[in-house]
Amino acid sequence: MRLLTYFIRRLVGIVFVMVGVSIITFAISHVVPADPVAAALGDHATDDQIAAFRAEYGLDKPLAEQYVIYMTGLLHGDLGRSIRTRRPVADDLRDFLPATFELSFAALIVSLFIGLPAGMISAVARNRLPDHFVRVFSLVGGSLPIFWLGLMLISLFYSRLDWLPSGARLDQFLDPPHSITGLYVVDSLLTGNVAALQSSLHHLLLPAFTLGYFSTAVIARMMRSSMLEVMRQDYMLVARAKGLRQRAVILRHGLRNALIPTLTIIGVTFGSLLSGAVLTETIFSWPGLGRYATASAISLDFPAVMGVTLLAAVIYPLANLLVDLGYHWLDPRIQHG
Amino acid sequence: MNKHYHNLWRLLIIATLVTLAACGQAATTPTAAPQATSAPASAPPPTAVPTEVPTAAPLGAANTLVYDSNIDDLITLDPAVAYEFSGVLIVHNVYEGLVQFVGSDLSDLKPGLAETWDVKEAGDNWEVTFHLRDGAKFASGNPITADDVVYSFQRVISLNKSPAFLFIDIAQLTTDSIQAADAKTVVVTMPKTASPQAFLSILTFTIGGIVDSKEVKAHEADGDFGSNWLLDHSAGSGPYMVAHWEKDVEVLLNANPNYGGTPPLLSSVLVKHVPESANQQAELEAGDADLVQNLTPEQIAAVSGAEGVATTTGDSLLLFYVGMNATVKPLDDVKVREALRAAIDYDGIINGLLSGNGKKVQTLVPAGLLGYNSDAPFQQDVDKAKALLKEAGQENGFSIEMLVPTGAGPGGIAWADLAAKLQSDWDKIGVKVDIKQVAFAELLGSYRAQKGQLVLVLWGPDFPDPDANAGPWTDINAHSIAFRNAWDDPIAEKTRAAALITDPAERAAAYKEITDYVLHNGPYAVLYQPTQLFGIRANVTGFAWNPMGYTDFWTIGK
Repeated sequence: MRLLTYFIRRLVGIVFVMVGVSIITFAISHVVPADPVAAALGDHATDDQIAAFRAEYGLDKPLAEQYVIYMTGLLHGDLGRSIRTRRPVADDLRDFLPATFELSFAALIVSLFIGLPAGMISAVARNRLPDHFVRVFSLVGGSLPIFWLGLMLISLFYSRLDWLPSGARLDQFLDPPHSITGLYVVDSLLTGNVAALQSSLHHLLLPAFTLGYFSTAVIARMMRSSMLEVMRQDYMLVARAKGLRQRAVILRHGLRNALIPTLTIIGVTFGSLLSGAVLTETIFSWPGLGRYATASAISLDFPAVMGVTLLAAVIYPLANLLVDLGYHWLDPRIQHG
Repeated sequence: MNKHYHNLWRLLIIATLVTLAACGQAATTPTAAPQATSAPASAPPPTAVPTEVPTAAPLGAANTLVYDSNIDDLITLDPAVAYEFSGVLIVHNVYEGLVQFVGSDLSDLKPGLAETWDVKEAGDNWEVTFHLRDGAKFASGNPITADDVVYSFQRVISLNKSPAFLFIDIAQLTTDSIQAADAKTVVVTMPKTASPQAFLSILTFTIGGIVDSKEVKAHEADGDFGSNWLLDHSAGSGPYMVAHWEKDVEVLLNANPNYGGTPPLLSSVLVKHVPESANQQAELEAGDADLVQNLTPEQIAAVSGAEGVATTTGDSLLLFYVGMNATVKPLDDVKVREALRAAIDYDGIINGLLSGNGKKVQTLVPAGLLGYNSDAPFQQDVDKAKALLKEAGQENGFSIEMLVPTGAGPGGIAWADLAAKLQSDWDKIGVKVDIKQVAFAELLGSYRAQKGQLVLVLWGPDFPDPDANAGPWTDINAHSIAFRNAWDDPIAEKTRAAALITDPAERAAAYKEITDYVLHNGPYAVLYQPTQLFGIRANVTGFAWNPMGYTDFWTIGK
C-alpha cells in the first residue's frame, strides 16, 4: 500500500516536471533569434509563402497564445506538426523512437552483461591479472569518445574483417519485419521472421557495444568497489563460517547486496545512453530519435524539439522510478516514503 | 530469495544466447540467407521488367545501384513541393517534363513529353504551345494527355509551395494561363514582362514534372491535390518509380515498365541515407555502395588508390560568396567593397583549402550557363587594397562582423576554415573580422532580414538560366540576395530587359555588361565555384552529374 502511494506520488511529480520542462523549452526555442520558417522554406521563398506558412503553423500569434494552443493540443495527445518534415510530431516520434529504444536497451543489456560480471570478477580476483584487465578496460571505456570508438569498430569489424555491417538496422535488401512494436528484434521474434531476426541482431551488435561501452565501464567499476565493500561485511564471514563455498557466498549473498549501489549508477547511465545515442546513430546510420532531434534542432523545428524534449522528460524520471522500484525488489527492507 | 537471482541469471543466459546467435550468424553467413522473406524489398513488383526478376538479391546486387548520400533534407517526393537536393535527385528520375536538358548540357533544350513547341507573340502576351508526343504513358498505364499537363501546372500554382515562385513570380503564370487546346496540345500564356526562355528552362526542373492526374485525383484529400499521398508515392512517367521511402533510411526506386524511352540499365536504385562520410568511404571500399556523394577532398585522395574504387567529379552551379550589406558603414562605400575583394587570396583558397576542387569564378553567372563571364580580375593585392581603403578614408582599417554557417559546405570543407582564411587575408589590410558562426537556418533568418554585415554563404540558381542568378543578385525588388545586402541599383533595369531577349547571342552580350558592372560595383565577393566529388566503384558506367544537382540513374550500369 505504501508502495502504491509512493508510486502515485512519483507519477504526479513527473507531470510537474513535464510542465516545467515544456515552459522552459518553449520559451528557449522561441527566443532564439532565428526564423524557423526561413529554415523550412529555404533561400528563395517569397513573402507571401512565408506569411502563409507562419499562419499555417500559428507562428504569427503571440508567444503566450502559442503556448496555450500547444498545451491544449498536448492534453488531447496532439504534439503539433513538425516544421521540417511537415508531419505530425507524434507520428515522427512513433517512427523514430523504437529504433532508439531498441538501441539503448541493447546497449543497456550489453553493459549489464559485460559490466556486472566484469566488476564481480575484478573484485574477487583483486590485484590479480583479471582485475588489472578489467580496470584497464574500464579506464579506457570512461575516456574514449564514442565517435572515435564507433569509427574504429567499423574499420575493424566491417572494413578489415567483414564480420559485421557498417550501419543501418537491417540488411539493405531485407524487408523489415511486420511492425508490431517497432522493435525489429521483438517483431521478428513475434512473426517468426528468422532472416530479419538474424539481420537485426547482427546490425545491433556494434552500435550497442559502442553506445554501451561507457556505461559498461562505469558499471564494472561500481560493481567492483561495491563488491569489495560487501565482501568485508560480517554476514559474508558468517556465510563462509556456515561452510558455504566461496562461489555460493559470492553469488547468493555478495551479488545481491553489491547490486544495490550499482543500480543507482545503472539508472544514471541510462540517461547517458539516450544522449549518447545522438552520436552513435550518426555513425551507424541508425534511423533513431537522436538524429531526428539533432536535425530538428538544426532546422529550428520547434514543435519537433518540444516533442523530443517532453518525451525525454517522461522517459528519464520513469527510468529512475524503475530503479527505485528495483531497490525494493533487491531488498524489501528499503523503505519508500 | 533463491527465485529472484535465478531470474537474473536466466536473463543473462538468454542475453548470451541472443548474442551468440548473432555472432554465429556473422561468422557463418556474411550475406543474408536467401530466405523467402529477403526477396520482396529488392525484387520489383511482378509487372516490372519481368525478364530480370532478381531472386534473393545479395548486397550490392548486380541489378541495383546502391547510392550512399546524406538525405536527411528529404521531406517530400512531390514534384510540386520538392525543393531540396535529395528531393530533386529522386523527382528527376521519376517524372518527365515537357522539355529537357540531356546529360550535363544546359544550353540546348531537347524534346521531352512535348515533341515540338513554339513561342509566339500575342498582343501583350507570349503564347507557348506544346505538342505532346503520341503514345506516351504513365507508370500506371494511363495515357498522358493535355489534361494531365494542365492539372500538373495548375497544381503547382494552387499548392504554392517552395518552388512555386518559379511559375508564379518568374513565369508570371496563373491557373488560367494554362489551357488544353485539344487532347495533345497545351497552350501557356504569359505576360510580355516574363521571359519565355526562362520558363522553358524552368520546365526542365522538378516542378515541370507531369503527374498522372487520374491517379493523383484519386488520392486527393481535403483539397491537398494529392500532396500527402505524393509525399512518398509517385505518379509519373519517368524511367523509375518510387517503390518505398523509409524516412532517414532509404529510398528504393524500381524501373517503370511503361517508360517510353530507352529502358534503364539497372532495374533498381537504392538511395541510402548514410550521414557520416567515413561510413560512405567504408561502404564504397567494401563494395557495398556503388556511388557515394559526400566524401571530403582528403577522403577522395585516400580512396583513389583503393582497389576497385575510382573517383569522379561533377560540375555544380553553386557560387560561394561573401555578401556585404551595402547600407552598413563602411561597406556602403564602393571603394571599401573593392578593397575587400582585392585583399582575398583566391588562389590560396582554391589550391590550398579546396585542394583544387573549385573553379576561379568571380562574376555572378557560374560557368556552365549562358552568359558566363570568365573575367577574374581579382587576386590578392594588399597594396592596392590598402590604397583603396585610404581613398575611402579608412586607412586605419575597421572592425566588422561576419556571419558564417556551421558545419561543412558543399565541396567538403568546413565553413569555419574558409572564414578563418578570409579573416587572415583581411587582417593584412587592417580589417578585423569578428566571425560569428551560427546554424545555417539562423544565418538565413538574419540575412533575409538585412541584419548581416558580412555574410559568408553560397547561392545556386533555381533553373538553368542566367536570369536565375542575374535577377536575384541585381534586382532589389526580386526580394532575394540584392535585397538581403540592401543593394538598390539601376542595373536591375538592364537585368529585367536581358531576361526578355530571345536571341541567345544578344542575350549573352547583355549579361556581359551586367556581370562586368556587378563585378566592381556589387555588394559581393565571389570566391569560387566548387566541384562536386564522388567516389565510385570502378565497374560503374554511365554516371554523369548534372550541374543542377541530379544525375540520370537510367544511364548508369555496372
